[in-house]
Amino acid sequence: MNRGQKNCSASSAKNSCFPKNRRGTDKIMSVYWFVILFIVTGAVVYMVGVFYGNPYDVREVEANVLINHIADCVAEGGYLNKEVIDDEGKFLLNNDNFMDVCNLNFNVEDFKRWQEQEQYYVEVKVFGIAKGNINLKLDCDKEGKNFPVCVERSFYVLDEKGKSYEIKILSVVRKTEKNVQ
Amino acid sequence: MKKRFKKGNILIENVIFIVLTLFFLTILILFVVSKMGSAAVLEEKYAKQIALIIDSSKPDMIMVLTMEDVFEKAEKENFDFSKVVSIQENVVNVKLREGAGYSYSFFNNIEIDNIYQDGNKYVFSIGGYK
Repeated sequence: MNRGQKNCSASSAKNSCFPKNRRGTDKIMSVYWFVILFIVTGAVVYMVGVFYGNPYDVREVEANVLINHIADCVAEGGYLNKEVIDDEGKFLLNNDNFMDVCNLNFNVEDFKRWQEQEQYYVEVKVFGIAKGNINLKLDCDKEGKNFPVCVERSFYVLDEKGKSYEIKILSVVRKTEKNVQ
Repeated sequence: MKKRFKKGNILIENVIFIVLTLFFLTILILFVVSKMGSAAVLEEKYAKQIALIIDSSKPDMIMVLTMEDVFEKAEKENFDFSKVVSIQENVVNVKLREGAGYSYSFFNNIEIDNIYQDGNKYVFSIGGYK
């Protein structure tokens, strides 16, 4: 037998392989197990609370839908709509009639002073249109959930004479309080 | 006799330990399930979903939205199904219990001709532009 190895086969109690204080160890194990259980439960409860406590952030989707809406208003099938450009190539769409022509309504629900400052901003560069709360544009280069979401997309269209235009649309949606905790 | 008593003691300890663990896990699962299907979460989810659907809609469309979980919740809360979704001007409100519900606005300046409940679905009949 090697040095230090116990004689397990011996029947005498003195040479037993099992520690005498085994029941004590079991108790320590169950306390340890419950501590782990509490930690795991705490972590799950915290994560579920954080996940379901956070509102769904739909601002990026909303900004993209807004761009799609404006694009549909300005052009169809790759050509500029007759409502936005006349036969001589003069733009009919401007800041004054943009909301009516494109059927937009930037009114929002009465929530945390939202009605005092507009929650949307839209820019359509070719036409020189800028509508909504221009202050929101200043936060576009900032990163972080608490800033408005800015989406810019562009596409090319033709007028009746075959002249091409690049339409750049910038849409900004704030609504921070309902989309970020 | 002494040996017998010891064995029984160990069994009871184990049973208590397993029962406590199961009890703990059951409470945990119940908490997660209750959070997942809570009225506040459903109200927010559907208010935003409906607002985005209306934003993407074109005149004369009919939108059908399945809201089975909402109706189950409203039934539990004894809330009238027909009052779950309402639209005033350009704000959607979803309510599953007595209270203010959850509101979200849409930017599409379109007329909503009719909203009605059909089984576990809500039907949105879109009119023309205002």
